[in-house]
Amino acid sequence: MRNSVRRDAGVHEFSLAVDVLGIINEAVGPNKDVRTVHLTLGPLSGILPDALRFCFTELAKGEGYGPLELEICEVPARMHCRDCALDYEGTDFTQSCPRCQSLNRDILSGREFTVDWVELEED
Amino acid sequence: MRNSTKPRKVVDITRPVLAKNEEFAAANRGLFRDKAMLVLNVIGSPGSGKTTLLEAMARHLHDAMVVIEGDVQTRRDAERIEQAGCRAYQIETHGACHLDAKAVAHALEQLDLDRGECEVLVIENVGNLICPSSFDLGEHLKIGLLSVPEGDDKVLKYPSLFSRISDLVVNKIDLLPHLTFDVERVIAECRSLNGDVRVFKTSGKTGEGVDNFCRFLLDERAKILVARASRA
Repeated sequence: MRNSVRRDAGVHEFSLAVDVLGIINEAVGPNKDVRTVHLTLGPLSGILPDALRFCFTELAKGEGYGPLELEICEVPARMHCRDCALDYEGTDFTQSCPRCQSLNRDILSGREFTVDWVELEED
Repeated sequence: MRNSTKPRKVVDITRPVLAKNEEFAAANRGLFRDKAMLVLNVIGSPGSGKTTLLEAMARHLHDAMVVIEGDVQTRRDAERIEQAGCRAYQIETHGACHLDAKAVAHALEQLDLDRGECEVLVIENVGNLICPSSFDLGEHLKIGLLSVPEGDDKVLKYPSLFSRISDLVVNKIDLLPHLTFDVERVIAECRSLNGDVRVFKTSGKTGEGVDNFCRFLLDERAKILVARASRA
């Protein structure tokens, strides 16, 4: 499938949309009855949900899929403050510790990007 | 909102989207270990002096350095590296804004790595501070290169990259007397994202700091040889 798609959208969300579609293809075969795709996306993944949604739906249309929804579950990032040891949640890299305002922290999670499950229409 | 009222079947997948890239990256890593090469993934903006820095590095590392160049189009950078005396392979992405591990795996096949010694392999990524940061190529060192004319406010603007790099290279330091650029601010902001980052200051043009950077690379490469000897 990869060779049939021009990879020149100039954003990495496009090539990732190609990969998402490839994963779905591997899981359900060349089944065009996929209606909803559920993804998990962390805020530190470097991937813009809207850009991914746009690229994915356009790509799927071009590959002969029917109307397709992308449900993106945006999970927060988890951080651990190295100064006051607080574990806290955040939505971007520049979020400092809510207790001591330090930016000296370990990023525990936030780069998630998974295809979780798909819904297929049954005849 | 649903598109129809037909019954639906749910198929569980649960797969990281970057898993394919990770598989290629792992294979690349295996090859790098077999060949005992130190591998750098150099990420920086267009015009930040990546290729000029590599030309300056060639004056220290000579043909022990091999370069994979990533650009949207043209062989210009590979030609410059070859003129500097090193082997180079050019990847033209034809539009894509980053290199992925598969493209590098293909380039590695084209480069005859058994011919001559390759101590340091440098992968110069497509000029871009955003997209390349998401893709592991199998490298040992992820180098974030920021040049003085770009401004000292860029680290927190591009945190996805600067939080992941192993080494920050501040390039074009010969321009510091002429421009307003607070190196300490850049380092402090980078450490706030990435406490363990190492920092180098270089000028590809004058060569300042390049010897120190190359010495560090050869030390890192020596550690790989020691690790290999202890495995044998």
